[in-house]
Amino acid sequence: MASVTDEELKQMTQEERVTALGMRTEALTGKSLYVEFDPDAEERFTYPWAPDVDFNKRTELDTDKMTTTEVNSSIRELMREGYGTIVLKNPRGKHSLGVGILSRLNLIIEGSTGYFGVGLIDGPNVRISGRVGWSCAENMMSGTVVIEKNAGSTFGAAIRGGDLVCKGSVGSRTGIDMKGGTIIVGGDTGALSGFMMQRGRMVVCGNAGKNLGDSMYDGTIFVGGEIKSLGVDAVTAELTDLDKAWLTRKLKQYGLLPDKGVDHFTKVVAGKQLWNYDNLEPNEKKLIL
Amino acid sequence: MADGDLPQKKPLNRDVNRIGDSFIFPPRVMDDIHIKSELGRYRMRGFSLFKKIPHWDDLTFLPGTLTRFVIEGYREKCETKTVIGPRAKKPLELDIPVYITGMSFGALSYEAKTALARGATMAGTATCSGEGGMIPDERRFSSKWFYQCIQSRYGFNPNHLVLADGCEFFIGQGCKVGLGGHLMGQKVTDQVAEMRSLPAGIDQRSPARHPDWLGPDDLALKIQEIREATDWQIPIQLKLGAARVYDDVRMAVKCDPDSIYIDGMEGGTGAGPHLATEDTGVPGMAAIRQARKAIDDLGKRGEISLVYAGGIRNGADVAKAIALGADAIAIGHSAMMALNCNKDIPEANYPEEIGAEPGYCYHCHTGRCPVGVATQDPKLRERLDPDEAAERVYNFLHTLTIEAQLFARACGKTYLHSLEPEDLAALTMEASAMAGVPLAGTNHTVGVEDYHHL
Repeated sequence: MASVTDEELKQMTQEERVTALGMRTEALTGKSLYVEFDPDAEERFTYPWAPDVDFNKRTELDTDKMTTTEVNSSIRELMREGYGTIVLKNPRGKHSLGVGILSRLNLIIEGSTGYFGVGLIDGPNVRISGRVGWSCAENMMSGTVVIEKNAGSTFGAAIRGGDLVCKGSVGSRTGIDMKGGTIIVGGDTGALSGFMMQRGRMVVCGNAGKNLGDSMYDGTIFVGGEIKSLGVDAVTAELTDLDKAWLTRKLKQYGLLPDKGVDHFTKVVAGKQLWNYDNLEPNEKKLIL
Repeated sequence: MADGDLPQKKPLNRDVNRIGDSFIFPPRVMDDIHIKSELGRYRMRGFSLFKKIPHWDDLTFLPGTLTRFVIEGYREKCETKTVIGPRAKKPLELDIPVYITGMSFGALSYEAKTALARGATMAGTATCSGEGGMIPDERRFSSKWFYQCIQSRYGFNPNHLVLADGCEFFIGQGCKVGLGGHLMGQKVTDQVAEMRSLPAGIDQRSPARHPDWLGPDDLALKIQEIREATDWQIPIQLKLGAARVYDDVRMAVKCDPDSIYIDGMEGGTGAGPHLATEDTGVPGMAAIRQARKAIDDLGKRGEISLVYAGGIRNGADVAKAIALGADAIAIGHSAMMALNCNKDIPEANYPEEIGAEPGYCYHCHTGRCPVGVATQDPKLRERLDPDEAAERVYNFLHTLTIEAQLFARACGKTYLHSLEPEDLAALTMEASAMAGVPLAGTNHTVGVEDYHHL
């Protein structure tokens, strides 16, 4: 699958693409259905209908009088024309701006966005000069999103990959249901951040509100300031040299490395007490275990 | 007995000195208390509710005789085409009114998921991913496919969203309204864990709230986000567990989806606390009527579809749900039975393997499904032949449809969706009150002063 080039994919019919991308794993006859699909197979971040773009091809879009749908349609159209750098001017806090971009793109938003800004994305590099509303970059798969000012609640909900950075402070429930990637907050974060976190890393340079990491399955949270309280099954752990090296590199990358370094950060991980409870009954145990 | 002897009187098989049995604390309740006293927690199980509630059997059809003109049962056409989300650019058009509801890969085996997809495709209807993300072959085998956006967002991938024919927001389910999903550690294999970004072998208890919206105002914006991500092409459906149905559906309508799915308390689960299954939710016949009224009161009939699921066993149930106001029906539990759930197959030894006789198994949560449906165990999965299973699913869906047509024709309808509440009567006071149809043989609808102004 990995050996198929984008050029080859373009020449294929939809049926052939489906097969080439591993969507088709076996013939529709007999016991061949027992062949399993491979969850570890390389996942393509660029699907054949996601256009190839040229980062040097740049355009600006004044979104002042446009609806959200018009803006998002224009982004897709411009990407189809090969524009790799798109600047959105006057976003005026519109909701759902830049959602569902499943390809490489430099998206620069000059201003602030509303709810669900750049949600459901896979690949673009986004820079937002203003503030963002609730659920920015929710379910992001890959790419980078950097916000210069503050963000609302549920920042980076359920993200699975990429770097999501807010240089200011964020609301509550940051990184809720987080499944991978990295969230970096330059300022403070609110209550219940990292709630039911599953994987990935969250870095909060400032303070964290109450119930940090409540019911987290896995993943790691680093906090530079004070933690109001830890949530259920969240525990502190030793900050290793590897953690410090990673923190230093990552924070430096986004200009957020504190003058005093990263030694003062607190590391929070899952206590793993909620991983299992005795869900079988004695008669079931006898038969099953 | 020698000739001429009188037959000996049999001794009584009961203790005449016993005053009585407790209705509140029968032996099963005492057993339950004894077990919980040892366990120190609620009891988990699969299946749907066990207790009796007002159900489809409490309604009967009033077919045509002289006051209505019947349609020739086996010859004249009775259309079954069903459209979910007619306002969407690409509505979901089904050949039959029944489709397969969301059941996750994880709860069900790979073979079960793909067999459901293939059976549904053969019948011209849809399937749904359920929780835990898309398995490529389910998408491949489903000609029409809902992608579920569930609270946990396990495996949710925008690249898969754009492959969907519809997007369903899971907000709750009828058999455990207000609770998140459960998948016990026995079924969280490496493969399932990887798809869900979880550690393998843990007891997975999904969140009950969505991560990125809290109330209807946020949900309206979330729906807009999904519409933007899918270029406003596909219908968006909200799945609600039946509780405060009228108010919930009014709020759902305000969020502007294309379809609302109501799951009655009869619905099943692969794992859940026994008591939640027994003691949450509202029966389907009440839920459909309230949901229909809410949609109609807001002037959205014909714009927002109403899908019902929960306790559907045969074509009569399908027809009754449609008559009460559903536009489409989703099935889960009975589709699993078509796959072989609770069937005594030669390869299985129920008592030894699961501790229950065929027909009494509710142990989906253990991952030891004797028929290879609700398991991830490779050996057990071999017991489900996906080719034969797909055929059975198709046969069952087809049967549900022709049975439902039978009642529609008998009631004089050439289109299945022309069935209406006037085609029904209730056999019990409770059913009359809940379904809003007259008690059989009377003009009296319980709770309605003047039945002409229902």
